[in-house]
Amino acid sequence: MNAPLADRIDALLPQTQCEQCGYHGCRPYAEALARGEAEINRCPPGGAAGIARLAALLGRPILPLDPAHGVEKPRQLARIIEAECIGCTKCIQACPVDAIVGAAKLMHTVIADACTGCELCVPACPVDCIVLEPMPVAQQDPAHADAARAHFRRREARLARERAQREAELAARKAAVEAAGAAKENPVLAALARARARQQGTPK
Amino acid sequence: MAERVGVEVVLALPDRQLSWRGQLDAGATVRDAVQASGLAAEQGDAVDLSRVGVFGRRVEPDQPLRDGDRVEIYRPLALDPKEARRQRARRP
Repeated sequence: MNAPLADRIDALLPQTQCEQCGYHGCRPYAEALARGEAEINRCPPGGAAGIARLAALLGRPILPLDPAHGVEKPRQLARIIEAECIGCTKCIQACPVDAIVGAAKLMHTVIADACTGCELCVPACPVDCIVLEPMPVAQQDPAHADAARAHFRRREARLARERAQREAELAARKAAVEAAGAAKENPVLAALARARARQQGTPK
Repeated sequence: MAERVGVEVVLALPDRQLSWRGQLDAGATVRDAVQASGLAAEQGDAVDLSRVGVFGRRVEPDQPLRDGDRVEIYRPLALDPKEARRQRARRP
């Protein structure tokens, strides 16, 4: 029964994936809410209106936004000052919705329409070249939230796939080394064994 | 294996970000996607195929595409990072 409730909660969250709630994105927060493990007042981008919607859905009393999780403010989006970008990829790794295009030692650019204004890229940048600008009102609609949710899911799936691939490669390499070790005697261990045998053989 | 792969090609310019979505035959490469997108025209037909990648990683243009790939056409940095560092250091 929890999964559909989490879906309905997730549908009310702004999909910024900013993690200000303390969870790794909107979906994990929705799941914690569905399990009754989190308060409804931890989402600054959702603000007072978001809290009211969550309260109505969950039948819980309306609470003021918990200041420990941030303050409600107008939505923003990130822009990279190109003259200062060093192509380090830190912001790309930090962006939860793949809204930054770029690669190592090449220009990084925010796809403005895909940016949720989560601000996670701002502290990631070692040269402070990311600025925040007001988000156009047209971008603050359900269609953009749905796109952000899809981008977040796509990224999570890709990272999980890459992690699994890395682990499989590592395991395969380890197995190969162990198989090689079993097949061929380790010369160092063999020398040690010979030395030990010699020592034991010589009378004191 | 799917007979077609759905891919996106993006060219992110400072003031506008262009994207193309389409289906290509399985086995199509990054180069094919860039050509199919027609985004080269936006850069004066001068997409440097040594500067393309998928999801933040530079790849060879003849890398085959996977379903869901986002092919990215990159631009060079505006400034050499070492020179940028020197300039920042000189700033009071």
